[in-house]
Amino acid sequence: MKRFAMASLALMLLLGVAGCGSQQSANTPQTENSTSKSTQTDSGKKVLTIASGNDIVSFDIHNHNNTSTEAVHVNMFDYLVKKDKNQQLQPDLATSWKQLDDTTWEFKLREGVKFHNGDPFTAADVKYTLERVAKDQTLLEYGNYKQIKEVQVIDDHTVHIITDGPQPVLLNRLSRLGSGMLPSKYIQEKGFDEYLKNPVGTGPYKLKEWKRDDRLILVKNDDYFGDKPKWDEVVFRSIPEDATRVSELLTGGVDLAVNIPPTDLDRIKNNEGTAVAQGPTQRVMQLTVRMTPGTKTADPKVREAIDLAIDKQAIVDNILAGGGTVTRTRVTPGNFGADPSLYGTSLYDPEKAKQLLAEAGYANGLEITLSSPSGRYLKDKETAELIQAMLGEVGIKVNLDLQEWSKFNEQYRGKKMNELFMIAYGNSMFDASLAFDRASSAIAKGETDYNNPELDKLLEEAETNLNEQEREKQYQQAQQMVANDRPFIYLFQMGANYGYNSNRIQFEPRLDEMLPVDEITLKQ
Amino acid sequence: MKKFLIRSLLQIIPVLFLISLIVFVLVHVTGDPVTLMLSDTATDEDRAILIKALGLDQPLYVQYFKFLGHLVQGDFGNSFRYQEPALPIVLERLPASFELAISSMVVATLIAIPLGILSATKRNSFLDVFVTGGAVLGKAMPSFWLGIMLILLFAVHWGVFPVSGQGTFAHLVLPAITLGTGVAAEMTRLIRSSMLEILQQDYIRTARSKGLLERIVIYKHAFQNSLVPVITIMALQTSHLIGGTLITETVFSWPGMGNLLIQAVNQRDMAIVQAAVFVVSILVILSNLLADLAYRVLDPRIKYN
Amino acid sequence: MSAPMETQVSPSVLATKSNRPSNLVRFSRQLFKSKTGTIGLFIVLCMVLMAVFAPVLAPHDPAKTNVAKRLLPPVWMEKGTSDYPLGTDNLGRDVLSRIIYGSQVSLLVGICAVVVAGFIGIILGLVSGYYTGWLDSVIMRTTDAFLAIPNILFMLVILAVMGPSLLTLIFVLGVTNWTTYARIVRSEVLSIKERDFVRAARAVGAKNFRIIFTHILPNVISSFIVISTLSVATTIILEASLSFLGLGIQPPTVSWGGMLSDGRQYLATSWWVATFPGIAITITVLGIIFLGDFLRDILDPRMKAKGGK
Repeated sequence: MKRFAMASLALMLLLGVAGCGSQQSANTPQTENSTSKSTQTDSGKKVLTIASGNDIVSFDIHNHNNTSTEAVHVNMFDYLVKKDKNQQLQPDLATSWKQLDDTTWEFKLREGVKFHNGDPFTAADVKYTLERVAKDQTLLEYGNYKQIKEVQVIDDHTVHIITDGPQPVLLNRLSRLGSGMLPSKYIQEKGFDEYLKNPVGTGPYKLKEWKRDDRLILVKNDDYFGDKPKWDEVVFRSIPEDATRVSELLTGGVDLAVNIPPTDLDRIKNNEGTAVAQGPTQRVMQLTVRMTPGTKTADPKVREAIDLAIDKQAIVDNILAGGGTVTRTRVTPGNFGADPSLYGTSLYDPEKAKQLLAEAGYANGLEITLSSPSGRYLKDKETAELIQAMLGEVGIKVNLDLQEWSKFNEQYRGKKMNELFMIAYGNSMFDASLAFDRASSAIAKGETDYNNPELDKLLEEAETNLNEQEREKQYQQAQQMVANDRPFIYLFQMGANYGYNSNRIQFEPRLDEMLPVDEITLKQ
Repeated sequence: MKKFLIRSLLQIIPVLFLISLIVFVLVHVTGDPVTLMLSDTATDEDRAILIKALGLDQPLYVQYFKFLGHLVQGDFGNSFRYQEPALPIVLERLPASFELAISSMVVATLIAIPLGILSATKRNSFLDVFVTGGAVLGKAMPSFWLGIMLILLFAVHWGVFPVSGQGTFAHLVLPAITLGTGVAAEMTRLIRSSMLEILQQDYIRTARSKGLLERIVIYKHAFQNSLVPVITIMALQTSHLIGGTLITETVFSWPGMGNLLIQAVNQRDMAIVQAAVFVVSILVILSNLLADLAYRVLDPRIKYN
Repeated sequence: MSAPMETQVSPSVLATKSNRPSNLVRFSRQLFKSKTGTIGLFIVLCMVLMAVFAPVLAPHDPAKTNVAKRLLPPVWMEKGTSDYPLGTDNLGRDVLSRIIYGSQVSLLVGICAVVVAGFIGIILGLVSGYYTGWLDSVIMRTTDAFLAIPNILFMLVILAVMGPSLLTLIFVLGVTNWTTYARIVRSEVLSIKERDFVRAARAVGAKNFRIIFTHILPNVISSFIVISTLSVATTIILEASLSFLGLGIQPPTVSWGGMLSDGRQYLATSWWVATFPGIAITITVLGIIFLGDFLRDILDPRMKAKGGK
């Protein structure tokens, strides 16, 4: 019996250690919250719960390069100029702006704005924030802001932004990922690490709690300068497993779920009290083609044959359940410089593809490699497998190289891809210039080895052209060139699938995939 | 006893040292952290600077000893995702994982002890075959499949339990069952065989021959003695349990260490991965030591030295 | 740190040894006496035949997609056709054919991994048990170190840095699973080397190398067979878990784990995509465990009572 007692002791010890542990977690404040389902508004508190597939990366607004992170940030930080639902520029922290000369822009700042910690928002914050990202090469957003040479403080509420050359898209640059304004005084006094732990912005919501990979809770900022925030509390939950996320939506555990797999759309539609919202996104799925002399795909006929052999509409219809639009350009509607003649259309002619292959000397077929990430984009693996099958139909044997994203990314950045790789690019700039970032011969070197001097010249001119009409023409011409040369074979513009609790909220997706929660309204 | 304890604790040191070597080799020799850390626009020069800054230009053994030096101070480097020291982030997640692991162990014990005893006492009966088959099924079922099925049935269809997340007791039920099932399957098999062994021992035969009620023989004599191996078995399941939390936590969005680790691996946040692997190993070693200790205390057949 | 298993060295091995010159007849007689053993062997044989004759048995090319026929239900349901007895997946591929071909990968990975792990484990176990001393300590502490890191965690990290592929998977399984073999072989060696026939060999001046390979090795093979059977089962389950975490075998190679993991999105709408590979895994594991238990019973009565690892 004595032995038995000691055994129980050992067991209790084990349980005790764990018990202390779990008690700790039970004491943290977030638990009260998760106990009540979001659909209940306890004590009249209006709580909105949003589920996404991953947590935010960081509160370093310049160092995440991640749309879903920015979708949360927009509720905490404000830009100088913001885009409304229809992607039109609106004043935000800047009330007005004008261009003084080719390289100087003047911004008048809103007065009486306070950061969440009480510091007033002034021109010094603008200077600190923009120069930080424009000067620090280690930041992921550096490339998109380095065009800013200097920010001059004219007075507390006026700044001049000096660019390194004519910058037709400066306003677009300042109203996108990483354009939020940081509290310079707070950061300089407490240090950036302290800011990362307790971030403050000027936005309608402020941080209450961040439990990594679990939930991020925002509460309303009563001192917000704009319209009163609509929600008392907003919870962003990270639920990586698709099936779990959908289940949470169906059971009313969350009000809005992003990234719904196409297969579950019908279930959500048919379920009472939930609805589906689909919208286009800025992302376009494409195949990047190696044109290095000596590769099989250096032959334009082979590239055309690949394009013609893929039935893009079938991919959209069958794999994405209609959530997507076929396209032959990366500059989709809503972006400056879009060429409507290349959007909503695609080429598919397997007979001609076979003929082209024969002309190119591959009548008996050829073998190429297609690399694709798996698990990175919606249904990427299935899309690649279907493309493999479609190319097989016309006699192109495809070695499919599916890689988990980090591995793919390593190879991609090392520019070590074979003939084809599949990738999707977004365009947070809403301008055609970003869509050509990989087409110029300097950047294409090693990747596609695409080299079209005519295109290079055109892009260079358009980059700094302040004449909007002329610039638009230039980009449209550039799109035709790329569509003809096929360094990239565009597949489709990706759609975004959301599911929401239609009994409780009203929701419309935005083209830029941001989630400003005050655009989501509670139904009465 | 004291001697044994001291010797065991001393033995842990070289093991920890070897684990540090394994972890180092895993991360430093097989991967290329630099490419992932650089931005798209980086030049070869940036690359060289970063390599130098990370000390990756030094010989491997120098890198290892530096790594070891930091490690002794509990410094696993900063998580590049969170830009914070890795170890506290990992430790922060332990309570949630403990909560899940202990509940799963409770679930597993509640299932395994009665089933294990029943199938041992009614050996080769229909019940025994049924239990054995069930145990195999529990082992063969991948936990993510079981987890998703439980969610579909109990949360979506019948609405009795919440789908995911941590919070009330109700939140704990489905993940604990998911994780507990696999452990229960393993435990049932082990308890059954340890019971079988004990039932063949002389003192049981003696007890039976004295005409004691079968119930008393089994519960008073056999079961109490079989507790010795059961406790050992429980402790030895820790490693399985911790491995299982990786998947269960992902399915149920449970904010524990497993979930953190999966995210870290996906993002190649190697500081976190190293810290987590180390913390997990120490836990496994400690629970094995406890098991060993319990075994020695409880079982008179084993000498302390 | 020593597990209880090592500390109890049973004398019954000698008895086994003298019984073992048994022949096939005795084996099969025992086999037919054991219901579960028969079932186990039958299942395992079926799986092996399925893997070997996959190209003959499979009604369709497992990689052939047909979007017009996607997500067809199995034949006994409404809209099911006998062309696709177990239905089709999200790309219109035949589930049955994919299961048949998937058995190849499961068996290949399972067997190769066991060979790699067994090779490492047996060598280290033999050396450790035979020489004892510092070499033994080093090997045993290394085993402890490897045992302290949960398998799946180990595999996850290696696969993440090296990239998932069939070869890395086999490599990783080998590198992580050898510890069990090393420990058991060591404890066997410890007892065998004190026995008369080994002492005799040493007395007549046989070299260590020779003693290990001609006298000791044959005597540890039975333990090896028992553990390795079970470890094939573990491997199949592990592969499924890794697929779920995105680090399993990548398409176009078909694996049961991959099918199950991909099919989980369809559990609520098209259950057959994930359920049939799940059943295939369960039946195979069941068969292997039954067979393994049976082998353990006849090859090593000592382990039967203790439940093995």
